[in-house]
Amino acid sequence: MTELASKLDDVTQRFAAAVDRANDEQALESVRVAYLGRNGEVTAVRRAIGALPPGERPEAGRVINDAVAAMERRLQAAHGELESRAFDAELAASIDVTFPSIRRPAGSIHPVRRIIEESCAYFVRHGFAVVVGPEAEPDYYTFDALNIPSDHPAREGFDSFWISDTLLLRPHTSPMQIRTMQQHRPPIAIVAPGKCFRRDAVDARHLFQFHQVEGLLVAEGINFGHLKGMLTGLCRELFGAQQNVRFRPSYFPFTEPSAEVDTTCPKCKGTGLLGSQSCNMCGGSAWIELGGAGMVHPSVLTEVGYDPDRYSGWAFGFGVERLGLTRYEVDDIRRFTKSDPNFLAQLS
Amino acid sequence: MRVPISWLREFVTLPADAQAIADRLAMLGFPVAEIERRPTITGVITARIAALEKHPNADRLQVAQVDVGAEAPLTIATAATNVAAGQTIAVATIGAQLPALTIAPRTMRGVASQGMMISAEELALPGEWFEDGIMQLDPNCALGMDVVELFGLDTAVLDVEITTNRPDSMSIFGLARELAASFGTGLRLPEFVNPGRDAEPPGEEPQVAIESDDCYRFVSQRIDGVRVAPAPAWLRVRLALSGQRPINNLVDVSNYVMLETGQPLHFYDAQAIRGGRLIVRSGRDGETMVTLDGVTRTLSTQALVIADDERPLCLAGLMGGAVSEVGPATTAIVLEAANFNGARVRRMSNALALRTEASARHEKSLALALTDLGAARAAALLRDLGATVYRPRAYGEPATRAAAIALKVADVQRLLGLPLAAQAIEHHLAALGCEIDLTQPDTLAVTPPVWRRDLTIAADLIEEVARIEGYERIPSIVPSVAPHEISSAAFALESRIAHVLEGLGYREIITQSLRNAGSVEVRNPLSEEQRFLRDSLVPGIIEYLAENASPVRVFEIGEVFNTDANGLVEQSLLTFGFSADPVDEPPWRDSHFLALKGDCEQLLRKITGRDAELKRGAKPGFHPGKTALATLDGRAVAHLGRIDPRAAKASDLRRPAYLCVIEIASLPAYETPRYQVPSRYPSTYRDVAVVVDIDVSARDIERAIVAAVGSLCTGAVVFDEYRGPQIGEGRKSLAARVTLQRFDATITDEEADAAVSLLLDALQKEFGAEIRA
Repeated sequence: MTELASKLDDVTQRFAAAVDRANDEQALESVRVAYLGRNGEVTAVRRAIGALPPGERPEAGRVINDAVAAMERRLQAAHGELESRAFDAELAASIDVTFPSIRRPAGSIHPVRRIIEESCAYFVRHGFAVVVGPEAEPDYYTFDALNIPSDHPAREGFDSFWISDTLLLRPHTSPMQIRTMQQHRPPIAIVAPGKCFRRDAVDARHLFQFHQVEGLLVAEGINFGHLKGMLTGLCRELFGAQQNVRFRPSYFPFTEPSAEVDTTCPKCKGTGLLGSQSCNMCGGSAWIELGGAGMVHPSVLTEVGYDPDRYSGWAFGFGVERLGLTRYEVDDIRRFTKSDPNFLAQLS
Repeated sequence: MRVPISWLREFVTLPADAQAIADRLAMLGFPVAEIERRPTITGVITARIAALEKHPNADRLQVAQVDVGAEAPLTIATAATNVAAGQTIAVATIGAQLPALTIAPRTMRGVASQGMMISAEELALPGEWFEDGIMQLDPNCALGMDVVELFGLDTAVLDVEITTNRPDSMSIFGLARELAASFGTGLRLPEFVNPGRDAEPPGEEPQVAIESDDCYRFVSQRIDGVRVAPAPAWLRVRLALSGQRPINNLVDVSNYVMLETGQPLHFYDAQAIRGGRLIVRSGRDGETMVTLDGVTRTLSTQALVIADDERPLCLAGLMGGAVSEVGPATTAIVLEAANFNGARVRRMSNALALRTEASARHEKSLALALTDLGAARAAALLRDLGATVYRPRAYGEPATRAAAIALKVADVQRLLGLPLAAQAIEHHLAALGCEIDLTQPDTLAVTPPVWRRDLTIAADLIEEVARIEGYERIPSIVPSVAPHEISSAAFALESRIAHVLEGLGYREIITQSLRNAGSVEVRNPLSEEQRFLRDSLVPGIIEYLAENASPVRVFEIGEVFNTDANGLVEQSLLTFGFSADPVDEPPWRDSHFLALKGDCEQLLRKITGRDAELKRGAKPGFHPGKTALATLDGRAVAHLGRIDPRAAKASDLRRPAYLCVIEIASLPAYETPRYQVPSRYPSTYRDVAVVVDIDVSARDIERAIVAAVGSLCTGAVVFDEYRGPQIGEGRKSLAARVTLQRFDATITDEEADAAVSLLLDALQKEFGAEIRA
C-alpha cells in the first residue's frame, strides 16, 4: 500500500511538472494522454491494486480516484489559464480605428429619382397611384386634349422638339392626365413622374431635358383647398416641417382657376436674408417657385368624357431638377444631367 | 411690361410702398420681376428763361434771368447752347440734390450763379432719348413746381409679367383696374368720349374695306392740323420711364395710348394713301414693302396687310410701312385702331421673325372694344396738342358685350372649398367690371366687361372671385381618396431595379436622350449634336465612363427610340456596368466579366424571383468572345459583356468596359419562390477534374453531372479552369465540386463513390472527358 502510494505520489508530481511545462492546448492534451489516457501512467498504477490484499483494495481505489480527480482539476485549470492567456494576447492588440475604411463600391440612386420617389411615396400614402408613360407623344395628348388648340398662344410656351407633324417629345408630363382619365373612371388619383423636353437654351437654371412630377386628383367634391392641403404636405415632406406654401393666380389653358405654387425658401427660412446678405437661393424674395397647379379645366374633363358638373379635380406639375436645386443647394442645374461621380456621391 | 407706379397712381389710390404694390400684383397673378427704384432728386423746379445775355467775361457762357414763380428771378449762368429766352425749363436751385451732385452757390467767371439748368440725364432719364442740352418743358407749365413730383420721377418702376390670357392687362388701365378691385379703392379712369364724334370730316377721309376674315374690327379716324414736333415733356418722360424711346409727338401719342389702354394704334400720313381707300387684305406672294425699321420685306399670302389701292402700307398689328410714315411734311393723318385674329398676327410675326410691342398684344387676341377706347384716347391727346379731330368710323363687328355666363353660387364653393355668399361673389366680380344679374339667388347671370375676352365659362369667373378674395383665404385640406384600380406597377418595377443596383454598388446617372446618332430624327434640333433620339443607352454611358479618370460603376434607366413598320417604337431600357483596370490573367478568363455576370444574375433573381440561364451571346458593339445572353423561360432578358475595345476607343475610353443591357418590358413578373425543406442528413462532396475540349462550357459539365447523378446530387459547381501545355492544344481542365446528399438517411462513402463513377462515365460519353488524377 505504501509502495503504491509512493508510486502514485511520484506520478502526480511528474504530472504537475508536465502540466506546468505545457504551453499550448496540444501539449496539454499530450500530458493528459500520457498520464490519464487508456494506457497512461495512472492506469499502470491502478493495475497494481490487484497485487494488494483484498482488504486494502477499496481504500487504494479511493486514493487513486481522488488523485485522478485532482489531476483532472489541475488539467482543467491549466486549460483555463491557457485560454485566458490567449484572450489576453488577443485583447492586447490595438488598432487605429480612424485608419481609412475598406469599402465595397457605393451605389446610389440619382437625386432626381430620390426626389421623385419621395414625392410619389407621399402621394401613395394618401391613396394615389404612380403612373408612367411615353416620352414621345402625339400632339393630341400633349396639347389638344389639354385645351391648347393649335393656334393657342400658350403653345409658344411649350417650345417642343417635333418628330413628325403630330408627334413630339412631351414638353410636360400632363399627357398622362389624359391617358389615365381615358382608361379609368373617377376617382382618379395619380402622380406621373417623367422626363420632359423643351427647346430651351441651357444655362444654370434651364435644361432642354428635365423631369417633372405631375399630380392629378379627380373625383366628386374635390376642390382647390385639397390642392393646397396636398402640396403643402409635399413641400413639408421634401423640405421640412416648417415649410409654408403660397398659391398665386396664374394662367394655364388646362386649369381654371390656375396657380403658381411657391414655398418658403428653405435656405433663408423664408426671411430673404442670410446674415445681412440677400439670400442667394431665393434672390432675397423669401420664396421659391415650384411650378404650376390648378383646378382641371372643364374642357379637359369634357374631353375625356367626365361630366364637369359632377366631377372636379386638380392637377399640378413641378420641375424635379428645380426642386433639387433648392433641396440640395446646387449652384447649377446642369449638374443633374452631368451626374459626375463627386456630385452623385455628395447627394447620395 | 415696365409700369411706372406714378402712372398707375393717376387712376388708382395705392399704398406708398412699391413692394406692397408689387406683392399685391403678384397675388393677383401679375408677378413683378423687378422693382426699379428711382434715385432721390430734390430742389428741381419749373422755370422760364425771362432774359438771356452773353456772359460778360466768357464767350462760351450765357447768363439767364430765370423766373421761378417767385418775386425775384434767379441768375443762372449756363454753358448749354440750346437755350433761349422764353423757354420753359427745369432748374436745380441752391441745395438741390441730384443723383451725382448737390447744387451749391458758385461764381462762374465773376457771375454768381444761383442754380443750374437741368438736362434729362440729370433727372436720371436716358439722356440719348432726349434733346441735347437743357430739357425743354411745356410752355404752359406753372412755374416753381417741383419737377420730380410733376413727372413722378421719384416713384419706382415695376417690371410686371403678364400671362398670355390677359392682354387687357398689358396696359396701365388694366393693371390700375386690377389694383383698384383688389385694394377696394376707387378707379379714376378718364371718360372715354371721342372728341371727334360730332365733327364730320371734310370729305377726303379714306374708306376702309375689310377683305380678310382675320380683321374683326377697324376704327379709322381722320385727324387734321398735325405738325411733327417733340411731344410734351410729361408724355416723353412717361414713355421713357416705361422703356419707350420718345420719337415725335405723333408716334409718341400712339405708343402712349398703347401702353395706357392696351390698344396698339397706327397713324398713316393721309397724303400717302392712294385711291382713297384702306384695304385690309392678305399679302400677295412676292409683294414687297419697306417697314418702318428700314427693312425691305417680301410678303406671302400668310401676311395680313393694310394697303391702299396700289401697295401695302402696314403689316397688320405688327409694323407700319415707310411710304405712309408720318414725317415733317405730314399735316393730316388717318388713325387706325384695329382688331385682328391673334393667331394670324402671331404666324406672320413668326414668319417674318419680327416682334413688336403691338404684335405682342395683338397675338394674344385683344377685345374688340379696345379699338374705340384707343381711338378716343388718341383723339383726345391729339386734340390737346392742337389737332382737329373728326368723327371716327368703325368697320367690321360691333364691340358688344358678350352673353351672360350662368354662375351657380354653389359651384364657387364646390371648386374653391371656400364658402362665399352670393353678395361677396357679386362684389368681387363687379369690382372687375362685370355686370351681375341677381334675380335668381342660386345662379348669378354675369356679363363680363367688354375688355375681357378670357372670361367665357363659370370656372373663369370662379378664378376671378378667388383672385379678388385672395387665394390665401382658401383653406388647406388634406383630401381622403377613395379606393381605385390604377396600377403603379411600372413605376414600382423601375424603382425596385434602381434600388437593387444601388445595393450592388452602381450609381445611377442620367445622360442625354438627344444625341448625334440614332434612328429617329427630331425636326428642329437645337444642334447637330442633338439631332437624333438615342436608340441605346450604351453610347451615353461609354462617354460617361470615358469622362471619368477612375473606374466607375453606373447604371441608367431610360427610354430609347426606334422605328418599325408601324412607326416609332419607344422602349424602357436598363443598362448597367463599369469601367475597370485590366487584370493580368490568361485570355480565356475574364474576372470582370464574371463580376458583371454575377451582378446580372443577382439583379434578375431579385426582380423576377428566378435564376436566369446564361449562354454565349452576341451583340453589336460588344466583344465577340466575351458576350453572354441571359434567358428566363427561354426568353432573352439581358445581353451582357465587354464593350468592343474598338468601340470604346472611338469614345476615348481606354479602360475595359463591361455593360449589361436589359429591356425592362422583357422581364417576367416576379414569381414568389417556394421554400424547400433541406435534408436533415449530412451531405458529402467529391471534387472531380476532367479534361475536355475548350468549347465545352462549365455549364455543360454542371448540367451533365446533375443529369447523371440524379436526385442524390444537390449541387454541381465548376470551380476551376486550367489550360496549358500539360493539358494539350484545344483542351482544358475543369474541376467541379459535386455535393451529394440523401433525404432519408446519411449518405455513405460507397454511395458517393458510386455516384462519382456514374458521372465520370457520363462525362466521358458525352464530352469525351478524360479523368485527371
